[in-house]
Amino acid sequence: MKSLSQKLGVLKKILCQAYHGKENVEVGEQWQVNAMRRIKGLGPITSRPNFLVFFERFVWRLTPATCLLIIAGAIIFLKLGFFPDYDVLTLFINDTEELSLAQLF
Amino acid sequence: MQNHPSRPSDSEIIRRIINGDVNSFEYLLKKYQDHVLRIVTKHIPYNEAEETAHNVFVRAYQALPGFKEQGSFKQWLSAITVRTCYDFWRKQYRSKELPMSDLSERHRDWLEKTLSSESDLSFSEESRAKEAGELLDWALSKLSAKDRMVLELVYLEGLSVKEAADLLALSVSNVKVRSFRSRKKLEKILTPLISI
Repeated sequence: MKSLSQKLGVLKKILCQAYHGKENVEVGEQWQVNAMRRIKGLGPITSRPNFLVFFERFVWRLTPATCLLIIAGAIIFLKLGFFPDYDVLTLFINDTEELSLAQLF
Repeated sequence: MQNHPSRPSDSEIIRRIINGDVNSFEYLLKKYQDHVLRIVTKHIPYNEAEETAHNVFVRAYQALPGFKEQGSFKQWLSAITVRTCYDFWRKQYRSKELPMSDLSERHRDWLEKTLSSESDLSFSEESRAKEAGELLDWALSKLSAKDRMVLELVYLEGLSVKEAADLLALSVSNVKVRSFRSRKKLEKILTPLISI
């Protein structure tokens, strides 16, 4: 009678053999014809990199620097006491011109 | 590897393709189709292998301008093949189109007989190989796409962690951790089957 670990060992060996014993696919000429048809359908390629390639290669590299800039900017605004909502509200309250126009009617 | 004098080198062919000669790609297709199919059939179900191999060559064709001539084309193509197989499984897992949801009674009987047999050589029978293959597919389908690929490359293919990491475009430490965890997960999946 085999122990659990022995059984597990045998099973692993069997599965490993099954993996290596996988049948290879034989392809014919039709497969090559279809593959080339797909390739030709894509048209000729050029070494000229397009905008998306540039974006992928370079712009993403700038992400850490951009994040740092955003954080630094946020800290500076907080330190300077820049609260846009508060400023707009103050401007609105202090704007007496509209109030005087309303008084005409 | 030395090139045959009458045959153009891979670099020469790649240069021609990049310069607009699409037909030259046929040379690379014929030269490497067996290599690609050998990798694909190891990772992908038999009936999906041809389509996946097509996808490999399409991907390779599109990525040719990014091929750096310092490395070998075969190695570069192998990495594209492995990543295409990984993408295949990612797509399958996302669409939940995984084959075989559970093991049948036939598989359980086979497993019981095989494990209770004193001889390990009993596997050599063809019918048993089929059941073992199905059991392997079932067990691997319980793992995530990434775990599956790492386990196949490191434990079943016997590649080094560095080689697997290069093929899958992952870090060495990621592959190291993942290979350990996926092996443990596989053991967890298999243990209830053998403790019946």
